[in-house]
Amino acid sequence: MATLLVIEDGDEYEEFARLFLSPRYDEVLAAHTCDEALAQAGEADALLIDLRFERAPNDVLVGDLAGAARRFGGDEARAARWLKEQQGTLILAALREAGHAQPAVFVHDFTERRRKNLEKLYARVGAVPAFDAARILATLEELGR
Amino acid sequence: MLLTLGCGERAAPADAGPSVATQWAEARALWYIDRDPAAYQAWMAVDPGTGEGREARALLAEAEPLYRQGIDAVREDAAGDADPRALFERAVRVAPMDPRLYLPLARAFRDLGRRSPDNPHHFIRAAEYYRKFIVLLPHDGQAEAARAELAELDPDSERLFAPPPTPPPEAEVIPAAAPAPVALWPLWVAFVALVLAVAAVAVLLSRSRRRRVSLETLAERRPELHPAITYLVHSLRHELLKHRIGAVGDAVSALDAGHATDAQRDFLSSRLYGGEPLFDAWRGHVASFERALGLEDDLARADPSFRSAERAVEQIAKLEAHVKRGDPGALQRSYDTLRRFDVQLRELVTQLTRTPVDGALFRDVVDEVRGEYAAGQVPLDEVVIRAPEPAPEIEVFRVDLVLVLKNVVRNAILAVGDEEPPRRIGLDVETQLEPTGEETVLVHVRDTSPAEFTTEDIYARRMDRGLGLVTAALGRYEGSIAVEPTEDDADWAKSVVIRFFRAD
Repeated sequence: MATLLVIEDGDEYEEFARLFLSPRYDEVLAAHTCDEALAQAGEADALLIDLRFERAPNDVLVGDLAGAARRFGGDEARAARWLKEQQGTLILAALREAGHAQPAVFVHDFTERRRKNLEKLYARVGAVPAFDAARILATLEELGR
Repeated sequence: MLLTLGCGERAAPADAGPSVATQWAEARALWYIDRDPAAYQAWMAVDPGTGEGREARALLAEAEPLYRQGIDAVREDAAGDADPRALFERAVRVAPMDPRLYLPLARAFRDLGRRSPDNPHHFIRAAEYYRKFIVLLPHDGQAEAARAELAELDPDSERLFAPPPTPPPEAEVIPAAAPAPVALWPLWVAFVALVLAVAAVAVLLSRSRRRRVSLETLAERRPELHPAITYLVHSLRHELLKHRIGAVGDAVSALDAGHATDAQRDFLSSRLYGGEPLFDAWRGHVASFERALGLEDDLARADPSFRSAERAVEQIAKLEAHVKRGDPGALQRSYDTLRRFDVQLRELVTQLTRTPVDGALFRDVVDEVRGEYAAGQVPLDEVVIRAPEPAPEIEVFRVDLVLVLKNVVRNAILAVGDEEPPRRIGLDVETQLEPTGEETVLVHVRDTSPAEFTTEDIYARRMDRGLGLVTAALGRYEGSIAVEPTEDDADWAKSVVIRFFRAD
């Protein structure tokens, strides 16, 4: 029995996973914040991650807000927006730091350079540009080897 | 190629003369500051077995084809498309010219002068370059031929520079009768009316141009809108095209093939027809584009891609009853249209302004600032430029990046100008990997002035109005600027660091 942990700010990924990834993953868990992901990651064989968390409230975001504000010339609002835009990668960073090494796939059309950087940083990371069940499953399979 | 200065090579002992690093610094100053034609020999004299010598030769090799192309462009004159002035300017910014090229350059101008004998400047330039060749390479095998060719030009030069002919004797001048006064006010009225009419036509033409403008054309004409366009496109792609359209791709295919399950049909229906009506959501995004970008006309009418995407969204909306019955209708075709639209938007954003941050950019900036009166008066001892290959690109319009860098470089030069020697400035670039997988490009403008200068000074615009322009420009491109001390680096007193996200 394989378990997929879906990490997103809504429920689209979870719904998609239950409908189209179920032949491969018997159980689908859902996390909407970094804390929830850390709490459930131990049960998961693979991770499906949304990149942007625009619907998440600021107080649940993970990441260095002060450092990001310096990066944006002191603009804290812009910094918070950046944390939301990139939240999925920062949650993955936290998961890896906590020792969770499962294959992780983003549904996002990263450039090749960005994808390679993520692989360099976190290992076993893939990206599929759209909700393509066959490609997502194949990528998770490839990363799991 | 990383152009390092003095790395790996230790200074020679004091009794062996100046170190290679000093020799190279002096040779560079001879060209970058003094533009002395003798700089070429000074560059070639730097030991090629050292890092400095290799750098010198690499730059000379980079400049030489540009000089040769410039000479060819002079030869071709109006027949070719190349602009010789631009080619020479590019070459000059990189390295001095091999003095042997002064001879073909002289001959090119001489021949140009023969084709256009009414323009004396070609012969003047030819004579100048013959003289430079002869002075710099007096013993070259071609020196005698050069002297002979210069001597041929001299008679013409004597004629060209001869005193003007004696003016004819003054003829008796009969003063003309004074003209009768003419009322001028009708002319002023007509003139003002003409100006207003022209202005009105210009405004009308401008408005009609702004009306029917595609997003791609708008992006080309208005580079300052690039961050806004990028954000709006990302929102449209993420919220609508990915989560509501893209998410149903498998279900659409299954329905079209006739084997969609009930769950898949429900998913399809909920995604396309649940929540905010799809067409309303689409129009909301289009309205955001129009508001944020100041568009006067409906984007879906002005832009062919938006027009076909809107038709596809309308079609999907009309198919609600069919889809819920399990009848796909033209759903697959509309879905495919929107997937193509999504790809077009991604490509548009990718194409938006990109500038490589490289040595050529840095040299252009330094040259332009040194061409200014105040900064040009500062006796700089060294300008250090380091740029890796390949150069990282950033999504900043070049003219804006040059504006930013010129202001920072100007401040650095003026700061060291107030101090005792050595007066040095440096520009270099590096990239930093972020935990998000993105990369930040850091441009360093370094100087040796110990005067206090902080990040707060920049943002408070205490030092210079130019730095106010810098912070405004950086805000447009999500860049930042900070003054960072360089305690660990004995060569510099501080570094002003400008950050941008690297363009993927």
